[in-house]
Amino acid sequence: MSDSINTETSTDTQTNGRQTVETASPSTETTAGESEEQVREEWRQYQFDGDTKLSVENLDVWYGDDHALKDVSMEIPENSVTALIGPSGCGKSTYLRCLNRMNDRIKAARIDGSVELEGTEIYDPNANLVELRKRIGMVFQSPNPFPKSIRENISYGPRKHGDINKGLLARLFGRDDTEEEAELVERSLKQAALWDEVSDRLDDNALGLSGGQQQRLCIARCLAVDPEVILMDEPASALDPIATSKIEDLVEELSKDYTVVIVTHNMQQAARISDQTAVFLTGGELVEYDDTDKIFENPESQRVEDYITGKFG
Amino acid sequence: MSDAYATTDRLVSADSNIYDRGLDTAIALSVVGFALGLVTLVNLVPPGASGGTLTTAFGTLLAVVVGAVGMTGLASYTNVVPVTSQRVRGIGLGLVVSTVALTVLAATLPVTMATLLGTVLLVEALAVTVAGVTSRLDLVDTEPNMSAGLLSGVAFGAIGLAMGGAAGGALAGFGSLLWLVGAVAAGVGLFLLAILPREDLGSTLPTAIVVGALGLTIVTGTIGVGWQWNPQTLSGGFTGGAVIPVFLLVGTLLSAWSAAKCRAGFGARGREYGAFLVINLNAFLMVAMMATIVVFVTIKGVGYAFHGLSVGALTALVLLTPALLAAVQFARTPAGANDWNAGARQLFRVLPLAAVGALAATFVSVLVTGSPLRYPYTYTVQVNRQGQALDTAIAVTPDTTVGTLLLIAPALLLAVTFFRSFGSLRKVGTESERTGSVRQAVPTAVLALVVLIGLFLVLGPAPFGLPLGGTLGFAAVVAGTVAAGGLAVSPLVGVLTSDGPTLADSAQREAPLFTLGVFGGLGLLLTALVLQPVAGVNPQVGPVDLVPAVAFAAALASLALATLTTIAKRSSEATITRRLLTEETRLGLVGAAGFTALVGLHVAATGVSFTVLGVSVSNASSLSWPMVMQAYIPLGAEPGGIMPAIIGTVWLVIGATLFAVPLGVGAAVFLTEYAEQGQFTALVEIATNALWSTPSIVFGLFGAAFLIPRLGGDESLLAGMLVLGFMLLPLVLITSRESIKAVPDEYRDASAALGVTRWETIKSVVLPAAMPGVITGVILGVGRIAGETAPLILVLGSTLNATAAVDVIGGFRFVSGPPFIANDALLTASASLPTQVWAVIAAGVSGSPQMGWATAFILLMVVLTFYAVGITARTYFRRKLNYE
Repeated sequence: MSDSINTETSTDTQTNGRQTVETASPSTETTAGESEEQVREEWRQYQFDGDTKLSVENLDVWYGDDHALKDVSMEIPENSVTALIGPSGCGKSTYLRCLNRMNDRIKAARIDGSVELEGTEIYDPNANLVELRKRIGMVFQSPNPFPKSIRENISYGPRKHGDINKGLLARLFGRDDTEEEAELVERSLKQAALWDEVSDRLDDNALGLSGGQQQRLCIARCLAVDPEVILMDEPASALDPIATSKIEDLVEELSKDYTVVIVTHNMQQAARISDQTAVFLTGGELVEYDDTDKIFENPESQRVEDYITGKFG
Repeated sequence: MSDAYATTDRLVSADSNIYDRGLDTAIALSVVGFALGLVTLVNLVPPGASGGTLTTAFGTLLAVVVGAVGMTGLASYTNVVPVTSQRVRGIGLGLVVSTVALTVLAATLPVTMATLLGTVLLVEALAVTVAGVTSRLDLVDTEPNMSAGLLSGVAFGAIGLAMGGAAGGALAGFGSLLWLVGAVAAGVGLFLLAILPREDLGSTLPTAIVVGALGLTIVTGTIGVGWQWNPQTLSGGFTGGAVIPVFLLVGTLLSAWSAAKCRAGFGARGREYGAFLVINLNAFLMVAMMATIVVFVTIKGVGYAFHGLSVGALTALVLLTPALLAAVQFARTPAGANDWNAGARQLFRVLPLAAVGALAATFVSVLVTGSPLRYPYTYTVQVNRQGQALDTAIAVTPDTTVGTLLLIAPALLLAVTFFRSFGSLRKVGTESERTGSVRQAVPTAVLALVVLIGLFLVLGPAPFGLPLGGTLGFAAVVAGTVAAGGLAVSPLVGVLTSDGPTLADSAQREAPLFTLGVFGGLGLLLTALVLQPVAGVNPQVGPVDLVPAVAFAAALASLALATLTTIAKRSSEATITRRLLTEETRLGLVGAAGFTALVGLHVAATGVSFTVLGVSVSNASSLSWPMVMQAYIPLGAEPGGIMPAIIGTVWLVIGATLFAVPLGVGAAVFLTEYAEQGQFTALVEIATNALWSTPSIVFGLFGAAFLIPRLGGDESLLAGMLVLGFMLLPLVLITSRESIKAVPDEYRDASAALGVTRWETIKSVVLPAAMPGVITGVILGVGRIAGETAPLILVLGSTLNATAAVDVIGGFRFVSGPPFIANDALLTASASLPTQVWAVIAAGVSGSPQMGWATAFILLMVVLTFYAVGITARTYFRRKLNYE
């Protein structure tokens, strides 16, 4: 437990948490349609060689009275792809949104636990939210480019952070970064494998792009602020197979330089692109977390095996 | 322009027979009758008009209809706006036929307007009967249902009840119960007649009876112009002047419905077409009612408002160019399949084009007949305590002068528009040996002329004492001009002398010449034009300047080219040829517009007017501004204007908007983005709504009691601005809040995920996306405050007939002490349009009612102008957001 969490909430969490686990377990049973299976601690322990990028300890999330995420602890290795899978409503998107504090934006959400980015607590009351989100970028389920030009979409983040100065004042002070902007736009779009398709219409409105192109633009927009971690919330669920495969190739490419955490409903996709997989099951608990091969070939939990083989979920 | 358009070449296709064409004409006649009913209802032409008045009225109508149909037909023939729907074509033809017939009747027979209107109804009744009977005898191919249906029956029954009652009562008096017998008999009779026979008779015969009866009462004079009926039970009465137009409106609606059903062959399609037509006429009626308010105010006020405005017909025609462009752009829509729906779409797309055509024909008719078109109006002023009538009017005169600016602007607009749709000139044609050498010579010549211009500019027209400017410049201008003229005319000669099998082939073969002729000619002539003043020469052929004469000839040649290629295009079959030739047509039009602009430029530069074929272009335009643009002239013989009031209202609106929009939008941002949604925001919402429904006089009292003592103690423009700003505030707040709420949360999420702060997000993403909604609120609010009178009387003062406008911009001055800037103009009382109307009309203060109406009309125009500005801004932001 981190010291940043105040004691009152913390005690409250513990009592509250247990109660909710007890009341929630019957529902888990009925949804799973299986015998009551006790989640063992060692299923969630994942040993890996590289450095730890994100370290989550005892994370609980409530939406009002709804206990959405129960006591999740997991360590995410650097420069790899971590897939989060599980049935709808199992809390995997909630978990993802906790990693860059996007859940702060939901007023009813209450978060308890610790998330550390390279050893720094992100839920520290003094944490710099701007810096945090610059380091941990996010790509959403449906493509959400701004109703601006492609160029403006890419340079939006850096401009707002003051990394790129443009306009009359910048020109007067001799700090016009138009060239830097052009380089940034080109680099980001090339990284997102979109450059060839849009290089001749950078000033067109981004809403005129196809769905797949819009999603890659969102990835490029996220890359433009130079993050270390990229969170992806089912980035290909609204796309056709061809656009999906492009996004998947892109994710594999990105994992060389970035730590990618991806939520997906598509188990084949998780198997194809991820290095390790965490399985969440109904009720908001992390059931198993291990190498992707291990999860898909020889899972410890019976329920995980049922889920992966399609017996439920 | 799809190929589907181009396949139908003929005006009325072979598959519409005499029956169809007759019915199209009947529908068209109904439309004309409906319009005439409206015209007589608003007394534009009184029902008792006859003789010369009537002939003039129908002559104008004929010009309008022929112009409308002619312009549409021309656009269709040239495939600019292809009209493929047979029904639209048929109705167009029918409009011309019926208007010509009516005009001939009006000119030859000694009839009144009322008689003609009755005749229209009788003809309609006859046409509908014939159509129904023909169909019943199976002479034509129709698909009627078993019956016209219960709904039609009930409708006809109701009409029968009303008419039978009225007729019975009129014949036997309402004292006896005979009117009831008549009502029941007619009602039941029409009901049975509608539902018992097959649909073709059931939906035509009752119509024929009703329409025929209405027509007969008018034609026989039973209800004539002087007819009057004052029922005992009512305090009002009915006059023939009011009843006849109403008969027309009802009768033509009915007959249009019947004829439309017949035209579409009854059955399901017939009902569809009939319902479509009636619904549209209904919608038209509703729009007409709203328009009546505007038209009524216009008719009352336009005479004074534009008093003193006179414009040459030719100038008016030139001014129509932008309207024509807009109408063509609007009408160029894909029409899709050839069903009734496509026809309807075509009809509505073509209407603006028809309107422009109608105006153009009216102006041309002024030029042709030589008699000016006047808006008749008489204004009485008191001179030496004696009433003196000034015959003032808006006049369109047969003047054939066109002002230079008025010529250059539309011509350049036209050229640019065609340029844009024409694209790159490199696309046209291939390099041919004949044009190759000329193609190289033209830039060389232009370059040489430019060098010469530079020489004269640097050294003056007479360097080293040598008269080079005179001789060399003269020779260069003449040579350049003649070469340009030759270039511009050469493609025409080339096409006409070429030995291709068809005109199309020749035109296609000479395609490179077209480009060279137009662009080479334009370039050369333009440099020659610039060279003229630099060298101080002005070569003339006889009394005519050489440069504009050549430009004029080149414009004519380009126009001829465009016409030739249009004809060639239509006679050719291959799609590729057709497409290529379309480019030639546009090129020709670019040339015509460009050369015309050159004529204007030349006259503007030299100041020497240019006349050819009776048309003259001069620096002095043939447009004179209306009196209303001036301030009021006290004790003048000429009625003065209301400019100070216009300026006052404009400043009021600007001030109120500047005050309310930042405040309202800021509050909306706080309430939507920052404040916790709860009791506080709910309270603010209730308060805002309450403020919006607060009576304006309360605002006025508040302003008078609270603001004025704190703002210099006197009625002032600033107080007016603030009070109107208070009134505008709630609406801006409400609409801004709604539109900010409507901005998708995804944008906010995306921005937050990039680490951008909330305020930056609002500034760069949320507000731009909410802009169209915010502007809508401002538009609605400005509409309300611009016409607000009550609070202004209290805080602004009701300065009547102001002789000077407030000078807000010039009123600003810097002062040494705080607040360092002062503006006395803001603290003085001002005139405004609503208070002027109130003072003139309601309070009967000195001034004439005409002036009040004119003020009301101008107020309407000012508000509409604000609307136009707002709507343009909104469209701009929408475009920006929606990648159009």
